Amino acid sequence: MPIYRFMIDIQYKSHVRDPRGETIKRVLNEEYNIPVKNLRLGKSVHLEIDAETKEEALKQVEKACEKLLVNTVTETFEVKEI
Amino acid sequence: MNIPIPKAQVVFYPGSNCDRDALWALKYVGFDAEFIDIYQDINADLLVLPGGFSYGDYLRVGAVAAREPIAYKIKDFVNSGGLVIGICNGFQILVEMGLLSGALLQNSCGHFICKIVELEVVDNTTPFTMYFQKGEIIKLPIAHGFGRFVKVNSTLPVLKYTEDVNGSEDLIAGITNRAKNILGLMPHPERAVEKLLGSNDGLRVFLSVFNYIKTKKLSFVQEKEGAKV
Repeated sequence: MPIYRFMIDIQYKSHVRDPRGETIKRVLNEEYNIPVKNLRLGKSVHLEIDAETKEEALKQVEKACEKLLVNTVTETFEVKEI
Repeated sequence: MNIPIPKAQVVFYPGSNCDRDALWALKYVGFDAEFIDIYQDINADLLVLPGGFSYGDYLRVGAVAAREPIAYKIKDFVNSGGLVIGICNGFQILVEMGLLSGALLQNSCGHFICKIVELEVVDNTTPFTMYFQKGEIIKLPIAHGFGRFVKVNSTLPVLKYTEDVNGSEDLIAGITNRAKNILGLMPHPERAVEKLLGSNDGLRVFLSVFNYIKTKKLSFVQEKEGAKV
């Protein structure tokens, strides 16, 4: 069975505050004078999956996101093949 | 008349650390209380999910614990009317399980907060808050890094902070479900059962639920004995 590789990019929804991102942005601004306007810290999950077809693999990845990896109340996600 | 003693169980997950405080508080008010682990069956009137850092809070707080096999047993227990209190990490687990609505994220200040806070009881019609007045201000300790509550439309608040401590929406500190048989809260009532600890307001949470169960058992026994006559 072929192996498919995916990256899942998980980010907080735009209306949800992100204190970690804010702290990192402040350090970049204040310590290094880098004019970062906005910074959001999300998660990225890289995974390999066995499946007959790419469509089947994608279906499994979406299921993983819905069941565990993503909290849809506060987060959004995007799946990319790598 | 022989009324059975209300029974409580405290679920300890790998990484729970407030389990013994919870057990102590339950026994203190008169519960027949014991620990269960994630493989055991639920056999109680009240289930307590204690605070701590279950599974190191990997991925998201409470996310892994909420998907252990015991989660299905907890859901069945709730659907059959069983009473559940989730404290701190226990609250986060209940939210991740979908038994309570909303989400809990990192405090808006970005760090762990450990102090005694003032709370307003906004709903005293739950089995857990019957011993409080509506609008009463009580004191309970908080100790969390991820207590910022994000509400959804169906959220039913029970406790609110009197001022902004962690960025929670509408100052929400504790909530219930529609059937009102679950209480999820970030403050620790089990750490406030004696005046010596700075407050004993938490005691009334356990007394409320203890007497709620006892009254129910009493009317059940009376009904049965009445039927015999």
